[in-house]
Amino acid sequence: MAEIQLRNVNKRWGSFIGVDNFNLTIADKEFLVLLGPSGCGKTTTMRMIAGLEDVTDGEIVIDGKVVNNLDPKDRDVAMVFQSYALYPNMNVYENIRFPLKVRGVDPATHDERVRRASAMVELDDFLHRKPAELSGGQRQRVALARAIVREPNVFLMDEPLSNLDAKLRVSTRAQIKNLSHELAVTTIYVTHDQIEAMTLADRVVVMEKGVVQQVGSPTEIYDRPANLFVASFIGNPAMNLIDGDLCDGVFETRNTRITGLNTGHGKTTLGFRAEDASLARDGEGQISAPIYTLELLGDATMISVRIGTSLVAVKADKSFRAEIGDLVSIHVTPEICHLFSTETGQRIDD
Amino acid sequence: MASQAQKRPAALQVILIAILVIWMIAAAFPFFWTLWGSFKVEGDFFSLADWTNVLTGEMTTRETGDAFTTEGYSGAWVQEEFWKAAWNSTLVCLFVVTISLTLGTLGGYALARSTYRYAFWFLLIALIFRAMPPITLVSGYLPVFFQWNIWGHLPTAIIVLVAINQPFTLWMLHSFFKNIPQDLDESAMVDGCTRFQAFRHVIIPVMWPGIITTGLFSFLLAYNDFAVTAMILDKENQTMVPKIASFLGTTQTKGNVMFAVAAVVSTTAPLFLLIMVFQRQIVSGLTAGAVKG
Repeated sequence: MAEIQLRNVNKRWGSFIGVDNFNLTIADKEFLVLLGPSGCGKTTTMRMIAGLEDVTDGEIVIDGKVVNNLDPKDRDVAMVFQSYALYPNMNVYENIRFPLKVRGVDPATHDERVRRASAMVELDDFLHRKPAELSGGQRQRVALARAIVREPNVFLMDEPLSNLDAKLRVSTRAQIKNLSHELAVTTIYVTHDQIEAMTLADRVVVMEKGVVQQVGSPTEIYDRPANLFVASFIGNPAMNLIDGDLCDGVFETRNTRITGLNTGHGKTTLGFRAEDASLARDGEGQISAPIYTLELLGDATMISVRIGTSLVAVKADKSFRAEIGDLVSIHVTPEICHLFSTETGQRIDD
Repeated sequence: MASQAQKRPAALQVILIAILVIWMIAAAFPFFWTLWGSFKVEGDFFSLADWTNVLTGEMTTRETGDAFTTEGYSGAWVQEEFWKAAWNSTLVCLFVVTISLTLGTLGGYALARSTYRYAFWFLLIALIFRAMPPITLVSGYLPVFFQWNIWGHLPTAIIVLVAINQPFTLWMLHSFFKNIPQDLDESAMVDGCTRFQAFRHVIIPVMWPGIITTGLFSFLLAYNDFAVTAMILDKENQTMVPKIASFLGTTQTKGNVMFAVAAVVSTTAPLFLLIMVFQRQIVSGLTAGAVKG
């Protein structure tokens, strides 16, 4: 049982703001992902929860207890580091056993617990090896086993997959998802990879420059981004964003005219996702422009046109073929549109 | 042409090996010459008549009845009590290495992990002290030592040698610690260690090669030191190097120079052993690869 509360948590180094006024309650057994570009304060937040970084202001509460002044060892958390941080002088068995040993857990139970943890991450055959003799994926699994062996209250994972190659990342991601389901322990997971966030999280916190941009389920974040930053950060490709003018429900800019929008007025940024739009017959779509690039993705063809300074992508059927420079017409219905104030970047069509 | 392509590197190989062999002989020659000469009498080793006497041992045979003699060794070790100097050197080295490594590992670790600016300035000041000639420190210490009546004793020399040595050990260990990722300490701390336990159980085992290398350098500094030990120790407490110098300083008596030669060989031999025993640790990259992902 561990509920984590962050109350007005701040981290400053001199005048530099690392994390600005972070408020969040993480429910027991929740899988929370902190997502954002590098330097957004997500790792700092996690390190503050772990106790590796002091909190400048505010309170961190784990299980109803303020832990601000507790050492990392007294917070009952386990952490997986990006670099894995395995102890090079110990073999895999001793690495996994280390937390039990230093915490004075009854030695009679060590062997059974180490073997259970290593079995969970399929490391049984490597227990006698030194970390230097393991592959990246195996090292990563040792780090996981070392975290789960103690059955802590909270798991912290700091970009655990970023040092793995693409293929291994997918399988390890699945393994982490399965593990977290099995263990049902509150988990905080830091990543800059939005696919990891979407696939793993119960809830995602999107951060930028130390400020929380949006908190929500992966679906909410994807379907209703709260501002321009989230809209442009989440999704592959990111959401198409077009600057224009909105007047009486009509959004207009070069080559573009979308009618039937029911809120907003003035300078507006309109967004829609590539897979929501579709190609229209000549002249019938809301956007008509020459093709800028055309990319064959295998399962689809991605067509981009230029509207002002932004590139607008649309997913077309995989059999669609055209030449660069050909005129296309794109259907953008009001239902798929997201409206943001150009000035503040905030969503306006709620 | 295959044969020509193979021939050229072979010639190059021969030249390279020849250069290496010549260099090795040139480098090792003085040591072997001294070792050989230490078993002769002064008349042979420093012969004015014929330098080949040292090879044939003419005077040695005439004086002792044999081409080799251990007179130099027995004279130095027994008659002049060089064993006392050797014991003093052992004590000085043992304490200097122990003290400066203890302070150096703790301080170097603290400085390597410190996030404050003063750590940088501290190290810079240490570097300046390291660059100063040791003799400048000694001249400043001497009047105080006389006044406190602690001049001439081994502990005094140990303190001064530690003071001279400490900046260097701090620097060296600091950079070794810097190479160990901070993730390791932090991981250990999350796993349940206090800061000190993390240092002892996780960092120190990874640091062994660095500690041994640094320890060896501070050992050599203490072992080879002349300036400090010659100025600070009285005749009773002399270590080996000043003792050798005192053999040379009294050339009125015949044979004392040979005591010095024998003492030089006795002083050098342990160094060879030491380097051979620890060469693996000195060169080792034990942590490389294991620490990094």
